[in-house]
Amino acid sequence: MRFSDMLKMSLSNLWKRKIRTFLTVLGVVIGVASIIVMVSLGIGLRTSTMEDLENYASLTQVQVNAPFDTDSSSKKATDYYLSDETVERLKGLEHVVGVSPKLEAQVVAKFGKYIANYSLQGLPPEAIEKLNIKIGEGELPKPGGELSFFYGKFSLQDYYDPRSGDMPFWEKGKTLDVDLMSKPVTVYLDGDSYTSAMYGDGGGEDGPVKMPKKYMIPTAGIEEGFNDSESDYTATAWGIYCDLEALKEALKKEYKNKVIPGQPTSKTGKPYKEIFYNTLLVDVDAMENVTSVQKAIQDLGYNAYSDAEWIAQEQNSMNMIQAVLGGIGAVSLLVAAIGIANTMMMSIYERTKEIGVMKVLGCDMRNIRTMFLMEAGYIGFFGGAVGMGFSYLLSAIINQLVMNSDSEFGGMTISIIPAWLAGLSLVFAVLIGMLAGFFPARRAMKLSALAAIKNE
Amino acid sequence: MAEKKSSIKTMKNVITVKDLYRFYQVGDTKVKALNGVSFTIRRGDFCSIVGTSGSGKSTLLNMLAGLEKPTKGQVVIAGNHIEGMKENELVRFRQKHIGFIFQSFNLLSTMDAVENVALPLTFQGVPEKERKKRAVRMLKLVGLEKHLDHRPTQMSGGQQQRVGIARALVVQPEIIFADEPTGNLDSNTSAEVMRLMQRIVKEHNQTMIMVTHDNYLAQFADRIFHIRDGKIQKIEEKKKELEE
Repeated sequence: MRFSDMLKMSLSNLWKRKIRTFLTVLGVVIGVASIIVMVSLGIGLRTSTMEDLENYASLTQVQVNAPFDTDSSSKKATDYYLSDETVERLKGLEHVVGVSPKLEAQVVAKFGKYIANYSLQGLPPEAIEKLNIKIGEGELPKPGGELSFFYGKFSLQDYYDPRSGDMPFWEKGKTLDVDLMSKPVTVYLDGDSYTSAMYGDGGGEDGPVKMPKKYMIPTAGIEEGFNDSESDYTATAWGIYCDLEALKEALKKEYKNKVIPGQPTSKTGKPYKEIFYNTLLVDVDAMENVTSVQKAIQDLGYNAYSDAEWIAQEQNSMNMIQAVLGGIGAVSLLVAAIGIANTMMMSIYERTKEIGVMKVLGCDMRNIRTMFLMEAGYIGFFGGAVGMGFSYLLSAIINQLVMNSDSEFGGMTISIIPAWLAGLSLVFAVLIGMLAGFFPARRAMKLSALAAIKNE
Repeated sequence: MAEKKSSIKTMKNVITVKDLYRFYQVGDTKVKALNGVSFTIRRGDFCSIVGTSGSGKSTLLNMLAGLEKPTKGQVVIAGNHIEGMKENELVRFRQKHIGFIFQSFNLLSTMDAVENVALPLTFQGVPEKERKKRAVRMLKLVGLEKHLDHRPTQMSGGQQQRVGIARALVVQPEIIFADEPTGNLDSNTSAEVMRLMQRIVKEHNQTMIMVTHDNYLAQFADRIFHIRDGKIQKIEEKKKELEE
């Protein structure tokens, strides 16, 4: 028997029993739609979670610090200071694609009667580039030339009035009213001394602390959504950035031969010639290698920290959620499969005579089985196709509802149906249909031809 | 295959049955449906098997068509021992060599006359155009040229059985089995259908074996096998073969 003839015959058999076929297909539609929608929710949740994670964590980065423990019994603490040499050493590790040093300085900015303390972060240009900051105005700090700052969108929220102790943002939601781009900012690079001088905590043994030098620092740029508290959270929102070399120069000038706060000193309390870094940012080629790189750096004796473990946990729980959702969908598809099997069995009982006649007329047994499998496959296919369309509709409705809601998912695309999910579900539905039709089909094949000539 | 077919055509004995037995177990009693039957049927014969209900005539037909297996004995059709064939082989055997006419017509209600007649050709894998052509030719032969696209429900019993006959003949089988072909028809139509079968079988030199309980209808055949209690009582030769 020709394949096309079998396709045609099984289709016409389904057509003959329209209502029953429709109901069985409906079962598959519901099964397939629930699987697709459930899995799409899982995917949507995972995608938005991963996006969220990327917003406040660099997923392929390891942060390296000098060990806290500078016990004399261990190696010399000086060996672990983060120098340019260390940078080169870490660059040599496997899976490491880049190492950027970070130098921090506690500075104070003054805006009229308000001041803001913050930790200025000096980074090499390529590291600043990699932060992926969305620039609102201006540009990223340029290497070479004078010191200029780039402000994260929420970086100046912590301003306060030192006299009254008012914190206008936290108390009234009022942001600082300054135009950073047009006017340089008054900055004290030696923030500690400024604070001591202003509030006179008596000073040290050298008498009252002298007011440090003030600098007028131009603004290189500001992040998109600056001072807009409605704006989304980013990893760089609270940061103020400048070029590493420029910061080094400025610090050297400011402190001359004195010890820069935060820098290690020799046994005699003298500063080292070189400025050591606070942190090294190690970029790893892929997420799955982060843990091994982190381990390798720890083995060298440094403190290394990454978000890998935490992210792995997040991903695990996402997988769990997805499996549970998929499982719920699968149950309804299972029910649909039982429906298909039932329909096919009924059909065989009804068509016992017809099948017998076909056998007497010389229809190959395997052809009979194939036609029954095809019928079941058709049910799966139609159910799968309609279910697919239906689930796109459902997904759109869910997204629309969630988008407009005030829940914690508000504004998120919570249901995502990738093409592979839709395609796979269709194939799966056909397979399930044929699987459900397998035993009925075998039964049909084995029916006696004698039934055909028995006259009721 | 073509070679084999032609060799079958030239064979004189198309069916040979030897010591055929068929027992059923019904509760505690053993029913002897066929109790030692032997005969041969020549090519071109129109035979009828006559007997009362329960005489074993239907069992014999089932066995000849390979629908039931004998308890013991041999059935050789067109040179093939069909008592030892597997079901799949039997299906293929029937597909090539046997046509079947049913009492209750057994046409598929969703198909029109042409499609019903073409069904055995579909099973053989004949392309659609070709099988349609052959089906139409067959329907013309049985006088249904005006009912080509009618469904079974739109036709009378006699017309339906003509479709059944056309369907049995369309594969050009050597042997045609008919199981009470006029059992569901009135006597006028019955005679008409019988004459049609007689004519076509003669024209194509085909072998026909018909089971009936009606002595009058049996008279249309050349040879009449009277069967009773699972045994052949007598074989009535209606006319002498001219060649002999």
